Amino acid sequence: MKNNIRVERAIKNITQADLAEAVNVSRQTINTIESNKYVPSTVLALKIARVFGKPLEEVFMLEEGD
Amino acid sequence: MKTHFLFPYWCRYLGWALILLHVPISMFGRARGMVNIMDNGPTSTGLFTGVHLFFICTSLVMVSGLFLVAFAKEKVEDEQIWHLRLDSLRWAIYINYLILIISLVFIEDVGHMLELNLWVPLLFFIIRFRWVIFRLNSSFSKEDGHEK
Repeated sequence: MKNNIRVERAIKNITQADLAEAVNVSRQTINTIESNKYVPSTVLALKIARVFGKPLEEVFMLEEGD
Repeated sequence: MKTHFLFPYWCRYLGWALILLHVPISMFGRARGMVNIMDNGPTSTGLFTGVHLFFICTSLVMVSGLFLVAFAKEKVEDEQIWHLRLDSLRWAIYINYLILIISLVFIEDVGHMLELNLWVPLLFFIIRFRWVIFRLNSSFSKEDGHEK
């Protein structure tokens, strides 16, 4: 699964720490999600999409092989 | 995230204190000629006799310490930590049963097998869990320089 979190953060101009605080996880977790090392749960993915005010599919997308 | 039952963060320090405390008690007891109940197999020495109390003060203090360290919350206990925790627990169970099966085949001393079983899963869990958290943090701090 890929994601656009880094781009969306840049658009909204928030840091990893701000996003982490908004969705109640550690900065490390946001960092590993951004670098595709960790696949978040549906709840966390929905929370992140809500912070950016976008539908889930615009922030997270399946890639080939998923 | 709603977490399942874990001890508060400070219990980790209490756990380490218990583990450290077990060392001098154990050395003192052995120096005075006490033997661990497990050395002779869990035979009927009676409740709260000297040997039984010595067993409580060593093995049980250490195991409770390991238990507290293993199941104390992290500072930020989020779903990724929970995921790593479960993964480490899975590996601890694999290793424990591997050792158990090997010792069932090759060792006849049941007392020592029980003692091994007391601390192997917890100790391996703690080592594996701390190691993955260390790796997570070190990969994070590498990127942290240019990613704020």
